[in-house]
Amino acid sequence: MQRELDCQTFLSQYLSRAHEKEMSVPDYMQCAEDHQTVLVVVQPVGVVPEDQFFRIYKRIASVAQVSIRDSQRNLYIRYRHHYLPENNEWGDFQTHRKVVGLISVTTCGSAKEWPQTLDRFHGQKEVFGATLYDSRLLVFGLQGEIAEQQRTDVAFYSSYDDCPDVEKRVEDFVESIFIVLESKRLDRATDKSGDKIPLLCVPFEKKDFVGLDTDSRHYKKRCQGRMRKHVGDLCLQAGMLQDALVHYHMAVELLRSVNDFLWLGAALEGLCSASVIFHYPGGTAGKAAGRKPSLAQGQGQAADAGKRHRPGALTANGISADTSSEIGRAKNCLSPEDIIEKYKEAISYYGKYKNAGVIELEACVKAVRVLAIQKRAMEASEFLQNAVYINLGQLSEEEKIQRYSILSELYDLIGFHRKSAFFKRVAAMQCVAPTIPEPGWRACYKLLLETLPGYSLSLDPKDFSKGTHRGWAAVQMRLLHELVYASRRMGNPGLSVRHLSFLLQTMLDFLSDQEKKEVTQSLENYTSKCPGGMEVLTLPDGLKLPPVPFTKLPIIRSVKLLDLPISLRPHKQKGLLGNNMSTKSPFIYSPIIMHNRGEERNKKIEFQWVQGEVCEVQLMVYNPMPFELRVEHMGLLTSGVEFEALPAALSLPAESGLYPVTLVGVPRTAGNITVNGYHTSVFGVTSDCLLEGLPSVRTSGCMVEVIPSLPRLQLSTSLPRSAHPLQPSKEELSSSVSVQLFNGETQHLTITLENIGSEDLETLEVASKTCNTKEKLFGEFLSWNLEEAVSQLPLKPGQSVTLTVNIKVRLDFSGGENLLQDLNDDGISVTGLPISSPLRQVLRPRAETKPLGSESSKTDYNHIKTLEAVMTFKYSGGAGKVEGYYRDLTLGVHVDIEPSVFFTRVSTLPATRTRQCHLLLDVFNSTEHELTVSAKNNQDLVLHASECQRMAIQVDKFDFDTLPQPDQEAVRYTTPKLLEEERLHAQASMINSTLAHPSVRRRGEASVEGVLNQLVLEHLQLAPLQWDVVVNGKPCDCDIIADCKVGDAVPLEVKLTNRSKNAVGPFALTVVPFQDYQNGVQNYDLQDAVTFIGSNTFYIDTVNPTENSVCVGALLFLYTGDFYLNIKFQDDSAGQGKELPPSWFGLPSVHIKALEAPIEAGA
Amino acid sequence: MAVCIAVIAKENYPLYIRSVPIQNELKFHYTVHTSLDVVEEKISAVGKAMADQRELYLGLLYPTEDYKVYGYVTNSKVKFVIVVDSSNTSLRDNEIRSMFRKLHNSFTDVMCNPFYNPGDTIQSKAFDSMVSAMMVQVS
Repeated sequence: MQRELDCQTFLSQYLSRAHEKEMSVPDYMQCAEDHQTVLVVVQPVGVVPEDQFFRIYKRIASVAQVSIRDSQRNLYIRYRHHYLPENNEWGDFQTHRKVVGLISVTTCGSAKEWPQTLDRFHGQKEVFGATLYDSRLLVFGLQGEIAEQQRTDVAFYSSYDDCPDVEKRVEDFVESIFIVLESKRLDRATDKSGDKIPLLCVPFEKKDFVGLDTDSRHYKKRCQGRMRKHVGDLCLQAGMLQDALVHYHMAVELLRSVNDFLWLGAALEGLCSASVIFHYPGGTAGKAAGRKPSLAQGQGQAADAGKRHRPGALTANGISADTSSEIGRAKNCLSPEDIIEKYKEAISYYGKYKNAGVIELEACVKAVRVLAIQKRAMEASEFLQNAVYINLGQLSEEEKIQRYSILSELYDLIGFHRKSAFFKRVAAMQCVAPTIPEPGWRACYKLLLETLPGYSLSLDPKDFSKGTHRGWAAVQMRLLHELVYASRRMGNPGLSVRHLSFLLQTMLDFLSDQEKKEVTQSLENYTSKCPGGMEVLTLPDGLKLPPVPFTKLPIIRSVKLLDLPISLRPHKQKGLLGNNMSTKSPFIYSPIIMHNRGEERNKKIEFQWVQGEVCEVQLMVYNPMPFELRVEHMGLLTSGVEFEALPAALSLPAESGLYPVTLVGVPRTAGNITVNGYHTSVFGVTSDCLLEGLPSVRTSGCMVEVIPSLPRLQLSTSLPRSAHPLQPSKEELSSSVSVQLFNGETQHLTITLENIGSEDLETLEVASKTCNTKEKLFGEFLSWNLEEAVSQLPLKPGQSVTLTVNIKVRLDFSGGENLLQDLNDDGISVTGLPISSPLRQVLRPRAETKPLGSESSKTDYNHIKTLEAVMTFKYSGGAGKVEGYYRDLTLGVHVDIEPSVFFTRVSTLPATRTRQCHLLLDVFNSTEHELTVSAKNNQDLVLHASECQRMAIQVDKFDFDTLPQPDQEAVRYTTPKLLEEERLHAQASMINSTLAHPSVRRRGEASVEGVLNQLVLEHLQLAPLQWDVVVNGKPCDCDIIADCKVGDAVPLEVKLTNRSKNAVGPFALTVVPFQDYQNGVQNYDLQDAVTFIGSNTFYIDTVNPTENSVCVGALLFLYTGDFYLNIKFQDDSAGQGKELPPSWFGLPSVHIKALEAPIEAGA
Repeated sequence: MAVCIAVIAKENYPLYIRSVPIQNELKFHYTVHTSLDVVEEKISAVGKAMADQRELYLGLLYPTEDYKVYGYVTNSKVKFVIVVDSSNTSLRDNEIRSMFRKLHNSFTDVMCNPFYNPGDTIQSKAFDSMVSAMMVQVS
């Protein structure tokens, strides 16, 4: 650019000197073979519609080559519709510059106009008069008398559409030109001696020769040389290549000797042209030149090519018709290398004359074309380099543009695309130079577009997406800026926006912070008038500008499809898993995984989305700009199912780090959805960024299945929501509640499930799972009755159903024996323990576990325990249910349990009945409130805070029979089942009322479970040997008084039922009657009062398991009174060596009241 | 002495370009960019004959009114372009050659840096200071 401008200033220095009349307009399209053509000017006369004229012109121009009858020669014609008479004056110098023919085209409506038309035609002939060999007038529209006349120089046609023989006419015309040409050639060629040879000269020479000695040898030689050269030109035009060469050679010799450099140059160029014509019969003009193949004549290309073969040139057979001429020509002809040498020489001679600038420039252009054919780009570039400096005087702006364009074209021809682009850009700039009153922005823009390949720029952003941008960023940016500006001035803001977007997108890395600001500001300015979009812009010349999505504003690093929140996630029914198996492979398992890296993006994601449910995709984005970036309407682009994207607007801080952005949308139909990309609107430009074009984006798959819609439940509870999550939060929970309870308390939790979806709820299942199992939990923690809720199904949208869950907490707070023993030390007296020694042993292994400080142990038992459970609500309905999907709703239940009461000590006392016993419990109130304890039928016991009291509860002993115990041993080590059973019998109810908060009444149950030790349990058990005593047909127990009459025999029956596993016995039982005086004296001396009928001793044989044995005796009471029967047991089975526990022989004592027999009866 | 020094990658994009008159940097970008046409032409012309024995120094690529542009191509087709002021007549071919040799050595050092990714723009300070030295030396 700079260089070019320098060149221009250099040129401007010579402006004043370019005053002489000279050829000033170069024909940049010229090429070497044009030297063999004859120039014919085709011009309109009068009023000729332009389109009609060019139609005729084209038809005329199609006759570019005519073979002359009776000779092997061809005549080539160059047509021009515009030619400067000044240039014509150079016709003697190079005959192909001479206008030898004129074809005028005119419209003539009537005979009246005819004379005027004819005058005009003659006037036109005058312009080129001196040089014309012949001329023709084509008259269109004239009919009648005048049109009938036969004139050789005028042809009449009725209309522009009806002129079938135009070509024929032109051919005749060309032939007539040929005849003149040939005669001139012969005339000059044979003009050997005698006559004085005139001096041919170029326009600017004429005055130089005034007063020169015309008789000098030097002058004569000059004349001869110039004439030789002229004859050479004529021979070349007349198709006599060989003669032309000979003449040129002679001319060179002559002119060299007289140092006539301008004409020597012309002779050398002529030599070059002739040689080029010989070597390159295909021509050097290339496609770009204006040569028109003679297609209009109906000739085929092949025929045409054949015709173009110079006579004597190598034919297809490689054998020339005339070998002698071939040899001669080959001798005179220049080799390809010499052609260039001679061109150089010629140009250097031309360069001596500043008035021959056009000649020099054209010679350069011709040489470049030849070199391009020879593929000698380096030398061609030197010629072009030279051409750049040729001064042509003051050029108009249009000429400058033309010159730069042709330079660009020629550089392109030799493969110097960058240089070509450079000049094209200069030409473009020239179009809008400030000196031009009406800048041609359109032309400028068009030329700028043409420079793009030279700067390796395509306007497709896809070409820049691969890796880092590599190119001449500074130069490319400049060009893009110019495109933006040109398109704006053209009045096409859409194009400006597109180019500016492209600049911003592809050159972002090369823009400085300041430039980024400027570019974005101007982009915003443009988009305020014309928002940028994703449509392809098509230019009038067909170039398509693909859309520029802003994939770097912001830059996306990763795309991650998110699963639905846990409560909305669909699950597949297990039973239907079989249907879900992929049918792609017949194998259930194959170690060969068809893994394809490229398919990573298409990989299907494990989870599912649900129709009608808001789905999320997380993008990690960052803003590369040094200012805040506002992204609007950011949404997802998807395919597969109908998807309603909910666009988001975001504002990213300057040069932000990775920033998570969640885009949401709702799939409206079911199927497989693929996330293809995202949509943004930045600086007023909307972009659809597709992920496939962004290799730097990490993604774990973009396809996910959308299943049909499912109902959606919302859960609300009567209890407050839990602030803290459940401890082992392995799984997420939809919601959780927390409650604080005293141990043993029961709480009702009302759960309301509302269908907030759009589908009917059809099925509902509830399950629960206790989380931390390290605590020993008694009883069922959560219990509910689902039937009522289920009966309300299906649940319509908007409806709700309630479910009541009982939370019952019963934990073991004893904390082992530590606590018990501590409490024992509190000075609570324990008395009345019937079997003291074994219990003591159990309760007091204290020596080794004595705690260090009582304070710590206090807090120890006071601590709060927690219990957690998860309730799972499985529900389904609608289309999703048909597909086998359901949803889970989970509710975490978190219960903090405070200790309420402890049973610090437990012991038993035998009750009066053998089947019952008293359970003695030392109850300790660990709460800070007063509470009331009530057991079954006992009266309430009021316990103050931290008070310990004993209570006795009468309980029935329980039966072993109900427990399927495997053996005796198992019973000893209490099994849970046993405990369970026992709990039923030995249960204490507790009423816990706080005085501090009288409004809150709380009640619960305390269980002796876990408190009962082995020994106590033994007492609570029914012995395996069951004794039944029946007096007078009435079963007796301790507190039942059997009545009998004095004098009557009282039958006594003792029945032993063996429920143990082993056979027992034989036993001996002795019945001893006695009287209790209730004062501590027992009278056993009753031989006078009671008589046994039979023996007072019973013998029971061995009783096998599950069998029983009965022994029967009778008593006779002789006096009235209260008698007791003590049945003593004598073990006779000592021989077996097996001791049975004494509790097994708990026989009831029998109380009999003997009454006076009624006298009447006795009487 | 040199007014512009450029290193151009095999794929013809600049790895390094620095010029002395900062204010008109773009001009040199254009100059060097267009000189690549000549470089390519020269390489393709010679390359056909004997690629391995080829002279690395390409000589004068083209003269402009103010500057002369010289070229040099390494065997790995990395191009060096040096633009010198035309008015500076003291510079002979030999000086230019030695400048290119120095440039090549320094470039080799850059390439030997294990932390340099071939194809990235050169940001080496050593290279930069060497280039600065070559530019300052005479002018």
